[in-house]
Parts: sequence; C-alpha cells; structure tokens
Amino acid sequence: MFYPQSIEEIQRVVVESHAPMVVRGGGTKPGLLNHNDSVTTIDLSDVSGILEYRPEECTFTALAGTRLNDIEEVLSDNDQWMPFDPPMVDKGSTLGGVLAAGLSGPCRYGFGGVRDFVLGISWVSGDGNLLNGGGRVVKNVAGFDFPKLMVGSLGRFGIITEITMKVFPQSQAFATLEWDCLNIEEAVKFMKLLSLSKIEFLALDIESNGIVRVRIGGIQNSLQKRLDSIARYKNGAVIFKDREESEKWSSLRNFCWLDDSCMLIKVPITPDIVCRLDSKLSHYEALRLYSVGGNVAWIGWMDSIVKLDKILENLGLTGLLLLGEYNTPWLGTSAFDNVFAAKVKAALDPKNRFMSL
Amino acid sequence: MSKSFLDKLKDIVTDEQVLTAHSELIPYESDGLTAFKALPRAVVLPNKQSEVISIVRLCHEHSVPFVARGSGTSLSGGSLPNERGIVIGLNRLNSILDLNIEERYAVVECGVINNDVSEASKHYGLHYAPDPSSQLVCTIGGNVAFNSGGAHCLKHGMTSNHVLGIKAVLPDGTVVQIGGHSLDSVGPDLVGLFVGSEGLFGIALEIILRLVPMPEGFRTLLAAYPSMEQAGDAVSSIIDAGLLPTAMEIMDNLTIKAVEATVHAGYPTDAGAVLIVELEGEIVEIEEEFKCLRKIIYESGAYNVTSANNQNERALIWKGRKGAFGALGKISPAYIVQDGVVPRSQLGSALAEIDSLSEKYGIRVANVFHAGDGNLHPNVLFNNSDEEMLEKAELLASEIVQMCIRRGGVITGEHGVGMEKREFMNDMFSDKDMDQMLILTDIIDPHQIANNDKVFSRSRVPGI
Amino acid sequence: MQHNIEVNNVGPNGQIMADAVKSCVHCGFCLPACPTYRVLGQEMDSPRGRILLMKNVLEGTLSLNEANPFIEKCLGCMACVTACPPSVPYGDLLVSFREYANETNVKYSFFDKYLKKFMYAIMPYTARFRFVVYIGIILKSLRNFLPLKLRAMFDLLPASFPVNEKFPETVYAIGNKRARVALLQGCVQSVLAPRINQATIRVFARNGIEVIVPQGQGCCGALTYHAGLSDSSRNMALQNMKVFPKDVDAIITTAAGCGSAISEYSRLFQDTPQYEMAMDFSGIVEDAISFLDGLGIVDEVIVNEDREIAYHDACHLSHAQGIRNAPRRLLHHIPRLKIVDIMDGEICCGSAGIYNLEHPEVANKLGVQKAVNIIKTGVDYLVTSNIGCMTQIEVSLRAMNSNINVKHIMEILDDAYRGEF
Ligand SMILES: Cc1cc2nc3c(=O)[nH]c(=O)nc-3n(C[C@H](O)[C@H](O)[C@H](O)COP(=O)(O)OP(=O)(O)OC[C@H]3O[C@@H](n4cnc5c(N)ncnc54)[C@H](O)[C@@H]3O)c2cc1C
Ligand code: SF4
Ligand code: SF4
Repeated sequence: MFYPQSIEEIQRVVVESHAPMVVRGGGTKPGLLNHNDSVTTIDLSDVSGILEYRPEECTFTALAGTRLNDIEEVLSDNDQWMPFDPPMVDKGSTLGGVLAAGLSGPCRYGFGGVRDFVLGISWVSGDGNLLNGGGRVVKNVAGFDFPKLMVGSLGRFGIITEITMKVFPQSQAFATLEWDCLNIEEAVKFMKLLSLSKIEFLALDIESNGIVRVRIGGIQNSLQKRLDSIARYKNGAVIFKDREESEKWSSLRNFCWLDDSCMLIKVPITPDIVCRLDSKLSHYEALRLYSVGGNVAWIGWMDSIVKLDKILENLGLTGLLLLGEYNTPWLGTSAFDNVFAAKVKAALDPKNRFMSL
Repeated sequence: MSKSFLDKLKDIVTDEQVLTAHSELIPYESDGLTAFKALPRAVVLPNKQSEVISIVRLCHEHSVPFVARGSGTSLSGGSLPNERGIVIGLNRLNSILDLNIEERYAVVECGVINNDVSEASKHYGLHYAPDPSSQLVCTIGGNVAFNSGGAHCLKHGMTSNHVLGIKAVLPDGTVVQIGGHSLDSVGPDLVGLFVGSEGLFGIALEIILRLVPMPEGFRTLLAAYPSMEQAGDAVSSIIDAGLLPTAMEIMDNLTIKAVEATVHAGYPTDAGAVLIVELEGEIVEIEEEFKCLRKIIYESGAYNVTSANNQNERALIWKGRKGAFGALGKISPAYIVQDGVVPRSQLGSALAEIDSLSEKYGIRVANVFHAGDGNLHPNVLFNNSDEEMLEKAELLASEIVQMCIRRGGVITGEHGVGMEKREFMNDMFSDKDMDQMLILTDIIDPHQIANNDKVFSRSRVPGI
Repeated sequence: MQHNIEVNNVGPNGQIMADAVKSCVHCGFCLPACPTYRVLGQEMDSPRGRILLMKNVLEGTLSLNEANPFIEKCLGCMACVTACPPSVPYGDLLVSFREYANETNVKYSFFDKYLKKFMYAIMPYTARFRFVVYIGIILKSLRNFLPLKLRAMFDLLPASFPVNEKFPETVYAIGNKRARVALLQGCVQSVLAPRINQATIRVFARNGIEVIVPQGQGCCGALTYHAGLSDSSRNMALQNMKVFPKDVDAIITTAAGCGSAISEYSRLFQDTPQYEMAMDFSGIVEDAISFLDGLGIVDEVIVNEDREIAYHDACHLSHAQGIRNAPRRLLHHIPRLKIVDIMDGEICCGSAGIYNLEHPEVANKLGVQKAVNIIKTGVDYLVTSNIGCMTQIEVSLRAMNSNINVKHIMEILDDAYRGEF
C-alpha cells in the first residue's frame, strides 16, 4: 500500500511500480478494491484539499482524495450543494472515489448524476504522465469528454487526481411525502404516474414493501401549497419536514438501512423491470430500495453473491458490488464488453498498468 | 478514388443514392459555416442503417475518408466534406423507432430532427429538453456529435445529459451498443465519451434519448439595459440570489436591430442590451421565484421590462432569440460565429474587451449568447470578398478565442472544434493531453477515415 | 452568403438575384419546410441547395442545364420564405432565375418543352382551355395508354363538364350596400369550378357587397409569371388592367395563386412605362377571404348540426401572402363548427400551377401525404382557398378511396347560408 502525499509522488509511484495498480479513496466501497496481494494499492487519502472554490461561478476544483463531507461543509456555508447527492458521505467517501465508482444519490432523479456535474479532470496515466480533460467552466465541448469517461471507470484508465465540479444553489426548504402502497406492483404504478406529472420531484424512491417516497425542494413560501397539491395525488400521504426530513434522506444515502454484514450492490434498471427483479429477489434475504424513479436498484444482499450474479445475468442486468467481496466488482451481464470499450482501454492504458475492465 | 470503390458503393445502394455530378455535389460543399467549402468525390444517401454500416465498412476497406452529415448546420465546419472522400448524408434515417412514454425515453435514428422528438412526445406531456436554436432543422446525430446545447441547457444540461444509449458503427465497421435505457449506469461512461466526439468515433445510428415532462408553467421576461455590462452583471446577481432559471440569454444592440428588421419580436431597438430570463416549473413555485427575479432585474438597472403573459407572448420573445443568427444575414453577408466560454462573473469585462477589439480592428461584432453559462457567441461580421477584411476578421476572431482561454474559459461551448478551431486546441491542452486524444482516435479509427481532418490538425504525430 | 455574381452579366434582374443570394446565410432552417426536400431527401432539392446552384450558375461555375432540373422541381410554394430567419426573397430569386433561364435558352427534354408550350398556350385562355378540358373528359378512358406525365393531366380533370353559368355584369348587394367590388374570375378556376365564383358572389351579396364581373377579363399572368415567362404575363396583366374599373373598393380574387402573382406586379412591371398603372391595379386586388374578413360578416349563418372540418392553408395564401388567420376567423362564423388541424399543415399538397403535370412523381407523393394527413383528422369536409389545391387534394383523396368533400371557403359559407351544410 502506498500513501502518496502529492501528485508528483503518485507519478513516481506509477513509474516505479510494476504490479497492476488499484486506487483507494476513502475505502468506503471495499467491493471495488481488489483483495489480491499481487496488486499495488495506492491510497489517495493524503492527496486532498479544495484547490479552488468559486461560489459565483458555481464550480470548485478539489484533489481526488478530498472527503465529500469536507466539501459539503464548505459548500453549505455558501448555500450551495452537490445536487447529485453523493452517497456514503458520512462514512468518509472521497470525491475521487464517488466519481470513479460513478455513484449518485436519490436526488439524481431531479438533477442528474455525478456524470452530469463533472467538468474537468486530471489523471495520472499508466506511464506516469499527468493528463487533463475538460475544463473549469460550466460549459465546454472542446476535446473528448474524458471527465465523463472516468465516471464509473473504477480507476481502470488512470489515477484520477484532480476534479472540477459544477454545483447548484441549495434550495431554501425541502419536504418529503411518503405513501404506503402496500405492495411493489401498486408502488410502481403510482411511481409511474408521479413521474409523468408536472411536479419537479428531486427524488422519487420506492421500497420493496410498497412505500413510495418523494422529495421536493424550493422556496419556503410556496412549499406548503405544493405539498397540499401533491398530497392530493393519493390518500394517506405522510409529510416530513425540516430536520426529520433531512435525516431521513441522509440515512438513506448513507445506507444506514443496511446491516453491517450486508453486501451492497447497485444495479441500473428501468421502471418496467422493477417488479420482475423484486419478485426474484424476494425469495432471498435481500433488502431492496428502488431509487431515481425506478432507474437504480440498491440491493442489500446476505446470501451467496454467486446467486445474485446469476439472477442479474438472467434478467440481462449489470450490477456493481460496493460492499462485500467477490472476484470482480461487476455482476450479471457485462455492460461494456464491447469493441469500443476495449479500444478505449487500449488507448488509455496500453500497457495494462491498471486492472482490466 | 478508384473506380471500383464507386462501383462497390453502387452495389450497396442504388445508383440514385450516389451523387457524383457537379450539380449534385455543390449543395453539399459547406455546412452552416460557408467560409469553408470543399467538394467531396461523392455524396451517398443511405436509406437504412444496414446501408450505412456497409458503406463505412467499404470506406474502411479502401481507406476512403468519410464525413457524416445530418442537416449540415454545423457552425464550425464539422460537416465540411473531405476532398479525398465521401459525404454520408444521414437525413433519410429519420424514424422514431420507439416512443416509450411510461419509461420516458425515445429511440430514434440519427437523422431525426431534434424538434420532431419533442413534437412526437408532446401529446403525452413530455419533451426532449436540449433545444439548440437550430432545433427545427438539426439532427440528433449532429447534436450527439457536437454535444449541442441550447438556450435552456442552463437548467436542463446539454445533449450529453439526455443521451442514455447509442448504437454506433465504428470507423472500422464494427457495430457497438453502448449505454442503455436506464438513467444510471455502472462502468465507464462510454456514452459520455462518444457524445461530443465530432464524428471521429464513427457514426451514431440509433440513439436512446431521455424525455422529461413539460413544465407546468413558464415565466419569461425581457429586460432592456443601457449597456451590455449591466446585463452581464444582472446575470451574476440572479445566480447569486440562488435562482436557477432555465435560460438566460443576452443580445446586444446590433443583434437587436437585426432581429427587429426581420422577425419583429418587439425588442426595444434603442437598448444597449436585452436580457431574456425564463423560469419554468410548477406554477406556484415559479410565481414566487418570479417575484424575486423581478426585484433583482429592477435593481440591476433595467430600464424597460416586459414579461410574457401567455404562450404567444412567450413565443414572440423567443422567436427573436432563435432567429438571431439567421437575422444577422440581413446586416452582413458573412460572419464568423465564435463560441468561447468565460467564467460567468467575467461576462461584463469580457464583453467590454470584445468591444475594444472590435474597435481596434474596425470590424463589427454582434453578440447574442447564453449568458447563464458564460457561453459567448460573438459574431464577427465581415465581407469576405474583401481579402484584407477577411484576414482582419479572422485575426479578431482568434483574439476573442485567446481571450476566453486567458480568462480561464474554453474555446467552444457547444458548436464544436470542427475545422475552424483546430489550431486553438493546443492553447487549451498540453502536448501530452493532445497525444492522448490522438492515440485514442487512431486506435478507434486505424485508417484515419472518420471525419479525421477535424478537431486536430494532424501536423503532429503523437509523441513527437 | 458571399458570392461573385457579376450583376450586369446576368440579365435585368441581376441585382435582385445577387441580393437574394447574399442574404442567405446557409443556415438550413428552410430544409424541413421544403416539400421537395422532404420527399426527395437531398440538398439539391432544397431551398438552400437551389440557392447554391443558382449562385453557381450565375457566377459561371456551373452550367445552367446541369442545375436547371433541380430548379424546375421547385414548387414555388414559398414555405421556405416563411421558415427563413433573414427572409431571403427566394420568390424573387426563383422567378428572376427562371426568366434568366428562359432567356438563356435552357434545354428541356423534348417532352417537357412541348408540354410547357402546350400548357402555357392553353391554360391562360379560358375558351381554349374549356375546349381542351371538354375533349379531355371525353378521352379520359384512354388514360391508361398514356405516359405518366400525360396521365397525370387526365387525372386532374373533373368527371363531367362543369356547367358554365354566365354572370350578370352586376350583382346587387342585398340590404344595405357596404362595398362595391369587381371579381377576377381566374382562368383555370372559371373553367374547372365556376361554382366557386358563383358562391362568392352570393355570399358577398348577402353581406351587402355589390359585385361586378367585368367582361373581357382574362388570366392574371400567374401561371406564366411563376414559370419565368414575364413577357406574356405582362401582356395578360395589361389586358385586365384595361377592362377592370378603378372606382371599386377592391378587385377580388378567389384563387390564392392569382392574388400572390398580382402582388408581385411591382417586380413584373419594374422599369416599364406601365409601372404606375400596374401598382394602382395590384394595390386594390385582395383575396375574397381577407376582404370579407376585413369588412366583417353581417348576415348570420344558422346551422343545426355540429360539424368538424379541416382547413388546408394554400401556399399562395399562407406562405406567399401571409394570410392564415382570416380564413379561420371566417369559418368560425359558422356556428357549431370545429376546425381540426392537419398534421404538417404548412406543407404544400403538390399542386403548384402546372407542377403536378411536370413532376407527377413528386406531386403524387405530396398529394398522398396530404391525403393521409387529412384522412387522419377524421373530418367530412376539407376546406381550402385555391382551385389548384382543391383539384390536387380531391384527386389524392379519391385515389385513397376517401369521399371527404373538398370545398372552397366561399362554397362552405354559401352552403351554410342556404342550409345545405
Ligand atoms: C442558425 C443556427 C443556430 C444554431 N444554434 C445552435 C445552438 O443554439 N446550440 C448549438 O449547440 N448549436 C447550434 N447550432 C449549430 C448546429 O445546429 C449544431 O451543431 C447541430 O448539432 C448540428 O446538427 P446537424 O444535423 O446539422 O449536423 P451536421 O452539421 O450535419 O453535422 C455536425 C457534425 O456531426 C457529425 N455527424 C452528423 N451526424 C452524425 C452521426 N449520425 N454520427 C456521428 N457524427 C455525426 C458531422 O460529421 C459533423 O461533424 C446552430 C446552427 C445554426 C445554423
Ligand atoms: S418554394 Fe417550396 S419547393 Fe421551392 S424551395 Fe421553397 S419550399 Fe422548396
Ligand atoms: S433559411 Fe433562409 S438563410 Fe437559411 S439557408 Fe434557407 S434560404 Fe438561406
């Protein structure tokens, strides 16, 4: 394990090391790290700090090892936030980690994911060069979009060192409504109805037990009126506000609902597959949260991971193992087993200095 | 081009689909940037995806360069033909293959016109959000190639934020499917990389687009300012107040006059600048936001504020903005549109700098741009039958680009590098960064045939 | 767009053409609006492409004969002008260019050349045209033995010969006289569908408008004007100027194509001694629809049934003259009437002068598309404002076994007044 203190040191380590390299950010997602001893693990927790924050531009640049909760603190002093709602912040996730893993939280529904907020990126390539892509302004189409490519790349193209992100002004007030639709079929139906409505939900989640949960945010003055009209969509809405409300979402995106022994898997899905997936999973000990309007399944898995691998494969889905141990972080069908991915890998990491895709 | 290549092309498609006569090639000589023109050896107009795939394979086999063309509205010479190669016109691949309302996506062929996607989904209360001013004519394929933006991308994002998946034929003829139907994904964001690759990674055949509900309401206002600087500062104040309008657009006096001379949108022709701000969302919410917005606008020195009270008035305000580029044709036979981005807070001073550059060269510059994200569109107006003026105009345009870079911005916000901004790439990226991009291109396109003369000037060999 | 046209070398309209080319910025906004581009899917058949082709011919870098087939395929529907942000005067360019082409002796195929000659020698002349139509109807059964282009001609003929009712020279207003107008009968319309003028006269009279129908009138020159045959157009126009009185509130046309051509007399008569006279004449010409709309309907329409109709915008009314609201307002005077929108309503039906005879493939496709979109609306009546459109749409609908009624607005109003709608 290496603990470089600077970008130059990362470059040096890369040039000098011979084994394949794996990067560790905050270590909050052990499923993504390889547990094989023959790899060189590079821990970036010391390569941290916000390099530049310009509230008037709604952008900041930080080193990859910067902890997200440090960033959130600085942003919130200026009434701004990262609306893609990064998960596992309280557990010590880093900016580089959340980007390389490609993780966004519940508010991805309303605002977009981490991919939609990354503007620029620097990384150390397999031969130790420091490369850049993107820029520092909110709009840019010059050159290839390497910043987006790195999202979800798990450091397999290079070691992400510096990131420029876009941020948004924080809403004045938030509120949450929950309905109990009793079962997943009804919940999905209701969710689809809501997702076609004109209400700008920030988050739209359902749970396997039939709970539908939505979040809205905006100006304090209009909040109650909006709540009243949303509550009319279906009887029995339970409303949460203020602290109780924010804690609810914070515990969701920090996965406080998982047991310590639970594995955690993220599966991108579409709303129409929720019921089928859920009925398959219901035969096992599995916690299921369907987030982002039925586009992401978060699965807390306690059975053998091989079984889940199979289920996902049969459904044509791909999962990412975040917590837990397996020989690969990718489960189910391979989403990027194609010539294009292979060519990109060959171009960015010709000598296979990083783990293969 | 050997005869056998053309013959083989005609084996793939009918003779009528292969254009080679002088009169058939001339209409393809330029895209939206007429300063560049070139005649290709042939233009081929495939009717279906399988034909495109076979054509690309044939080009690969014979190392014949090809340029994909949607509607040819690129403003950077992106669809400029290559004299040694062919143009593949994709406008006939224009079916919407799947419109899934419940799941909120559309699968479209690359030649589908941007606005047609919204038209098709509007009956269900949905639309395709990215709205380049050229939305009535530009194709989704072209949008994907350039990661096109639009007035409303301040809130909604650019093309890239709305493309979920792509089926593409790579320059070597392999067909790949990247991304999918879900909003989220795992693994490297290959779709993100493909979008904005300006045709260098091959041809996008089929694109899965995200649809979003149409907002419940809009609030649009038009504010007139004595000067550009004040309008620019107003934009910063709006952002500072924590508002997130869906669009903020500024036009200068020259543009206002051109617009009023053509589309008659009712802009005050004596204004130094007009600022359009639009809020959208739930009506109760935007009414509150609008109160706040009006206050800021009045405090920022606007001397004339009108707000749209209905859909027609809103359409009128936008008609002027969307027709602005075209309208400039009325006041100048030729213009170079620059597309640099500066940090938003520097808008005022950047505009002042453009002004003084314009004075220095004695060439008019009309500004109409996406102020909310600092994306300038200075239109350098000139008469290119006047050699000297053309040269000056090019110098002026290049000084504007340099200024954007110097201020920490970028050379293009949405129009792409294309042919026109190739030489500025080195000012933004280091040699090593450029090498990485070139290596990637070469691996994806080993014969260097897919729009390969764009984006990079190939005078450098990677690593040298 | 920059150009190197030597304005003095390309005929009297050099400047007009050069200015039009110059104002085009090659933005392509006109592409989706252009019917021929939509049908043929290639740039040469788009407004932007045509402008480039004409530019190259005028610059001397492309031969006229190479370019002309694409220019010929233009319908002259002016949808491109509506869509064009800098409002390139495409119509001026097109007509001037066609004139230039005619003067430069552009080559046509043998067949096209004689078809053109034949049509332009017949159609504008009511008596000749009436005779030919009469013969045509008799020979209609032979159509299957003819080449496509001739077949198209027969297809457009009515099934039986329309009764040609003579009008009294003056039809007095009923009730309080509010205006006095002179009616331009239109050459083709007066043969193929005299009922439209009859209906117009009745509707006008009911609304207090006295109508006079000057004897000795002829074609307004539209057909030949749009084909770039300015000399013969001028002669026809002068004939009308002679017979029409000046002491009327308006000269009324019921065919959009005539109205649009007359509005271009300023160009047709530019630099001629008759310019003033032509301007006086064209200044008072107005389409029946906008005239009645402007004056206002006073005689109330009573109907007992709910009706749905679709209104088709004739290109020469909407794109060329910008008249879009007036017809809809007029129709709304009929109570219980709902106007349904036609998809792609701004696209030409493929009629355009003798276009459906010259380019039957393109015209057929456009006709079919239009018919499909009309049938989709589910209405019983298709209402429009131009004889060319009516003929083309009717033929296209019948070919698809639809029996939707095709009527002129004035006919619908007339029917409604008479309790027959
Ligand atoms: C008046 C006007 C206003 C404009 N306003 C805006 C604006 O507001 N915002 C904005 O972003 N742009 C704007 N543009 C620029 C232009 O419309 C966009 O760049 C648009 O995306 C181009 O689309 P197109 O179909 O015309 O593509 P083309 O010009 O035909 O091609 C553009 C590029 O895409 C490539 N390409 C085309 N199809 C494919 C495909 N299927 N696969 C891969 N590559 C392909 C071409 O090779 C070329 O490099 C404007 C242009 C004009 C003329
Ligand atoms: S007049 Fe009609 S057919 Fe001719 S170019 Fe314009 S839109 Fe196309
Ligand atoms: S819309 Fe007008 S300016 Fe644009 S290409 Fe067409 S004719 Fe030229």
